[in-house]
Amino acid sequence: MIGRMEKAARLIWPVLSLALVLVVLAALLSLGPMPLQRTATEAFIRLIVVIGIYIFIGNSGILSFGHVSFMAIGAYGSALLTIPPTMKKIVLDLPPFMTALQLPTIPAAVIAATLSSIFAFLIGVPLMRLSGISAAMGTFASLAIVYVVISNWKEVTGGASALIGLPVYADIWVTLIYALLALGLAYAYQESRYGRRLRASRENEVAALATGINVRRERLIAFVFSAFIVGFGGVLHAHFIGVLSSSSFYLDVTFITLAMLVIGGMNSLAGAVTGTIVVSVLGELLRLIEAGFDIGTVHLAAPRGLREVGLSFLMLMILLFRPQGLTSGREFAWPIAPRAG
Amino acid sequence: MTFVLQNIVDAISLGALYALTALGIGLIFGIMRLINFAHGELIMLGAYALFFTFGMHEAIMGLVAMALVIATAIVMERVAFRPLRRANPATLLIASFALAYFLQHLVLLIFGARPKSVTFLHELSGFFVVEGLRIPKLQVVTIAITIVLLVGLVVFFRRSSIGTQMRAAAEDFGMARLVGVRANSVIAIAFLLSGVLAGIISLLYVVQTGTLTPRMGVSLVLVAFVATVIGGMGSLVGAAVGGLVVGVLTVALQAVLTVELRPYRDAFVFAVLIGFLLVRPQGLLRGRSARERI
Amino acid sequence: MLATEDLRVTYGNILALGGVSLRIEEREIVSVIGPNGAGKSSLLNAIAGVVPVASGSIEFEGQAIAGTAPEDLVRRGISLVPEGRHIFGGLTVAENIRIGAVARRDRGAIDGDVDRVLAMFPVLRERLRQPAGKLSGGEQQMLAIGRALLARPRLLLIDEPSLGLAPLVVSEVYRAVADLRAEGVTILIVEQSATRALEAADRTYVLASGSIVMAGGAAELRAEEGFEDAYFGYKARDP
Repeated sequence: MIGRMEKAARLIWPVLSLALVLVVLAALLSLGPMPLQRTATEAFIRLIVVIGIYIFIGNSGILSFGHVSFMAIGAYGSALLTIPPTMKKIVLDLPPFMTALQLPTIPAAVIAATLSSIFAFLIGVPLMRLSGISAAMGTFASLAIVYVVISNWKEVTGGASALIGLPVYADIWVTLIYALLALGLAYAYQESRYGRRLRASRENEVAALATGINVRRERLIAFVFSAFIVGFGGVLHAHFIGVLSSSSFYLDVTFITLAMLVIGGMNSLAGAVTGTIVVSVLGELLRLIEAGFDIGTVHLAAPRGLREVGLSFLMLMILLFRPQGLTSGREFAWPIAPRAG
Repeated sequence: MTFVLQNIVDAISLGALYALTALGIGLIFGIMRLINFAHGELIMLGAYALFFTFGMHEAIMGLVAMALVIATAIVMERVAFRPLRRANPATLLIASFALAYFLQHLVLLIFGARPKSVTFLHELSGFFVVEGLRIPKLQVVTIAITIVLLVGLVVFFRRSSIGTQMRAAAEDFGMARLVGVRANSVIAIAFLLSGVLAGIISLLYVVQTGTLTPRMGVSLVLVAFVATVIGGMGSLVGAAVGGLVVGVLTVALQAVLTVELRPYRDAFVFAVLIGFLLVRPQGLLRGRSARERI
Repeated sequence: MLATEDLRVTYGNILALGGVSLRIEEREIVSVIGPNGAGKSSLLNAIAGVVPVASGSIEFEGQAIAGTAPEDLVRRGISLVPEGRHIFGGLTVAENIRIGAVARRDRGAIDGDVDRVLAMFPVLRERLRQPAGKLSGGEQQMLAIGRALLARPRLLLIDEPSLGLAPLVVSEVYRAVADLRAEGVTILIVEQSATRALEAADRTYVLASGSIVMAGGAAELRAEEGFEDAYFGYKARDP
C-alpha cells in the first residue's frame, strides 16, 4: 500500500512540484501592485506558449521556429469570435455571418486553439517528414508566411493597423489556471505511450523506427497537440492586451520563447517552467534598469535594448557552458530516496 | 519590351545581391553545417560603420566598414561557434539566432531603434540610358562585383591549396582533418570570406537604400535562406544560382501578381522554400553534402 | 614505436575498448583481428585522435599522444586510412592524392611522392582528372592509401582494407602494404577477415568485446587452443 502510494507520488511529483511553484508565485505576486500583477500574467501566458513549444521540441528533439504562428492564429481566431459585431463592422471587412458572430470567451478560445491545431496538422503532414536543419527552416518559412498573411490581410486581421475591441479577461488567476492545465496536459502527454514513443525516437530515431514506432505520426501528434496549447497561449495573449498587431507574432516572441526553453533546458517540463521564470524575472529586472531610477535628483536610465542584449547574452552563455539548460534536461525528482529492498 | 528588359535587369541585380548573401551563408554551412542567422547582422554592422564614420573620406568609410565586418565574423566564430563545433546543427542554429539577436540589440542599444540615413558613393545613384532603357549605375556595379567575386571564388576553390582543403572539409570534415587539414584554419577562413561578402553587401546596400535600422539584415538573410535551400545546401554554385533564382522569382512575382496579391509576395517566396525542402531537398544543384554531419 | 597502455574508449554508456595494451615495433606489420563490434575501429580511431580516449595512454615514439587532434598527429607521422575509405568524391583523383600532403613542409618532394604512389597504383594514373567519386571500390581503396602515403607517415593505420573488395584487388592492396614496409613504414592493419591479415602480419592481436584475448604470430595463434573459438566467438555460442 505504502509502496503504491510512493510510486504514485514519484509519478506525479515532477508536475505537482512545478504546479506548486506556480501557485505560490501567483499568490505572492497577486498581492503586489498592478504592474507587477500584469508582469506575472504576461509571464504565465508566455509559460503556456513555452510549455506548448516544449511539447513538440522537448519530446521530439526537432527544432521548430514556427510555433509562434500558432499563437497568432489562436489570437486572431479568438479575436474574430469575440469582438462585438458593431466593432467588427467598423474595423474589418468580413462576410456577414462572421461579422454577426460573437461567442462567449471560453468556446471562442477552444475553437481558436483548435484552429491552430488544424493549421498545424495541415502544415505538419508535409513538414514532419523533415528533421534537423530542414525542419527548422521549414517551420521558419511557415512562420514567415503566416506573418506576411496576417500583416496584409486587411479584411480579416486589420492588416498593418492594430486590431482593437477584444474583451479583456485574462488576469493573473485566469492565466494561472490555464498555465496549470497546460502543465498537467503536457505532463500527461509526456508520460503517455505517445509521449514515450516520441521520446524514444528523440534518443535514437533509427532504433525507434526499428521497433515499429511510426516516428512521423508521433511527431505529427505532438505537433498538433502543441499547436493547441500554443494557440491557447495566443488566445490569452489577445485577451490580456486587448489589442492585436501582427508584429507581436514574429521574431521577438520566437526568440524569447526559444530563449526560455533553451535556458531552462529544452528536454524537460521543469526546464520549460524554470526557463520561463528565470527569463521573466531577469527580463523584468533589466526592464526596470531600462526604465531608469532616481538617485537624488539624477535620473539614471539604461538605453533601450538592454533587456534583449542581456537575454541573448545569457542564452549564448547557457548554450556554451550548460547546453542542457539550467535543469540539465531533468524533471524535479521526488525528494525522498527510495527505501532499500 | 522596355518593361520586360527593365525587369530582367532588376531581377539580375537583385538576384546578384541575394546570391552574394546566400554565398556568405552557404560557405559556412558547407564547412560546418551551421546556418548562420547572424550573417544578416554582419551586413547591418557594416552599414552602421558607414554611418558612424560618415564625413570621413569615402575610401576610409568603406575600409572601416569592411574591416569591422570581417573582424566581427572572425570573432563570432572564435567566441561563439568554435566551442560549439561538436554540438548538433540545431544547437548551432539556436546559437546563431541568439547571436543575431544580441548584435541587433547591441546596435539598438548604442544607436537607437530609429532608422538612420547615410549617403555613400552618391555618384552611383545615377542611370545609364541605353536605347530608352534606364539602368541604374548601381545595378550595373552590383552585377559586375558579383561576377568578379564569383569568378574569384571559383578560382580560389579550384586552384589554391586552401581552397581545395575547404572543398574537402565541406565534403567530409572528419576525413579532412585526418589528412592534416587544420579544422580551425579552414573554418576561420570560411568566416573571413563570409565576412568579406557581407561587408561588400553592406556597402552596396547602403548605396542603394541609404537607410539603416538594427533589423535591416533580417529580411536579407531570410531571403538568402530560401536561396541556399533552392540552390542546394552545401553547394556554393548552388547558393549563387539560388540567389539569382530568388531574385528573378521576386521580380517576376512583383510583375505578375495582381495588386491584391502583391503584398503577399514574400509568402510565395517562402512557400517555394517549403516546396523545395519537401520535394527536392538536395536543391537545384547536387547539394550532395546536404545530409547533416554527425 | 607505438604502445598503448590500458586504453579505454567509451561512447556514452557503451564501452567500446576496455583496457587494451599493445606494442608495435618499428618496421613491423601488426594486425588486429576480431569479430564485428570487437572494438577494432575504435582502437584505430583512438590512436589517430578521431575519438577521445576515456582513460589509459598512447605513446608514439616515446611521447604521449592521447588527446592530440588528428591533424596534428598527421604532422607527427601517424596516418589513418579509415574504414569505408572516405575519399573526397567531389575532388579529382589528383586533388585527392595531393591533399594528403597538406601537412608537409617539404613542398619540393611532393611531386616525386605523387609519382611513387601512381607507380604503386597505376590504375589511378589514367583517372587523375576524374572526380574520385566515380572510382570503383578497389580503386578508391588504393586512392585512400595513396592519399595517406602523401603525408609520409611513419606509422600507417589501415582499417578494413579488404572490405567489399574482390580477392584479386585485395591481393594488390596487401602487396602494396608489403612494399611499404620495405620502405620503412610501420603498419597496423585491422581486419575482420582474418586469413589475409594473419598471413601478412608479423604479429597479430585478437580482439573480442573490447579486450585483447590472444596475441602472437600466425603459426603461434593457429596452434593456440581456442583460437578459432575466440575469433569466431559468436559462432561458438550457437548450439
